Amino acid sequence: MKKSLIIPIIGLIILGVSAFLFFNKNEERDNKNVTLPSSLFDTVDFYDMKPLNQKELDDFYIVNFFASWCKPCLAEHPLLMELQSKGIKIIGINFRDDEENFVKWINEHGNPFFHIIRDDGSIAYEMGLIGVPETFFIENSEIQKKVQGPLFYEDIQKYL
Amino acid sequence: MKIFKSIYNLFFIIFFSLFINISLANVNQLQDYYKTIRCLVCDGQSIQESDTEFAINLKEQIQKKYDSGMDLKKINQELVNIYGEEISFSPSNNHIILWVLPLLTLVLIFFLVRNKYRKN
Repeated sequence: MKKSLIIPIIGLIILGVSAFLFFNKNEERDNKNVTLPSSLFDTVDFYDMKPLNQKELDDFYIVNFFASWCKPCLAEHPLLMELQSKGIKIIGINFRDDEENFVKWINEHGNPFFHIIRDDGSIAYEMGLIGVPETFFIENSEIQKKVQGPLFYEDIQKYL
Repeated sequence: MKIFKSIYNLFFIIFFSLFINISLANVNQLQDYYKTIRCLVCDGQSIQESDTEFAINLKEQIQKKYDSGMDLKKINQELVNIYGEEISFSPSNNHIILWVLPLLTLVLIFFLVRNKYRKN
């Protein structure tokens, strides 16, 4: 091999390794540090004031952040109703919303939630929310998947 | 008695201005900190500049933690744990490789060009 080629080749290898480390690190970060906050299980349901009992939840359940002011939330709402009709439990977290608008919205569009709470933003912060709607798929108390933005049929079909 | 009243007034003014100064310093410290936090749903804006629900909520949560006595270093660590390094405009030293990478690329280009001219 020509001597003059050694330095460029070493440079390319360093670039490749750096790129691999950088992109690999990004993938690892997703959801790893976000867990379900304990404060979520200290909440009471907005309607019947019952505390959230972890034992009542199945191995698989969903946590959905929504708001009455959020248009995409309305778009995914029928899918949440469908999930509920299949027996999947959904914890609904109403994010920074006006109470009157929230109640009106639920009355108008239906309540697919097993447990519903109103959040001033603290639970959203702990779960790393960047906007509504956002949905967390929980399996064996761990976040398996996170969907930012409205749900599509492809996101939920395997659970139906 | 007049002198006591004057001393009392003087102390009142000193304490009041101290209190105002400390409050303003805290506010400024937080405002400066907000400038270092990236709004993840905006294009290149900090949460200080943004009026999105994400930025407003983050500012409120940071303010709450700060008021409860948590220092900015701990708050920053918590933010990075939750949102990842991208939340901060000033990433930690472990991204030194990203700073070195452009230099390495330049060196690489230099050698490639030099080799080409040598051949010619």
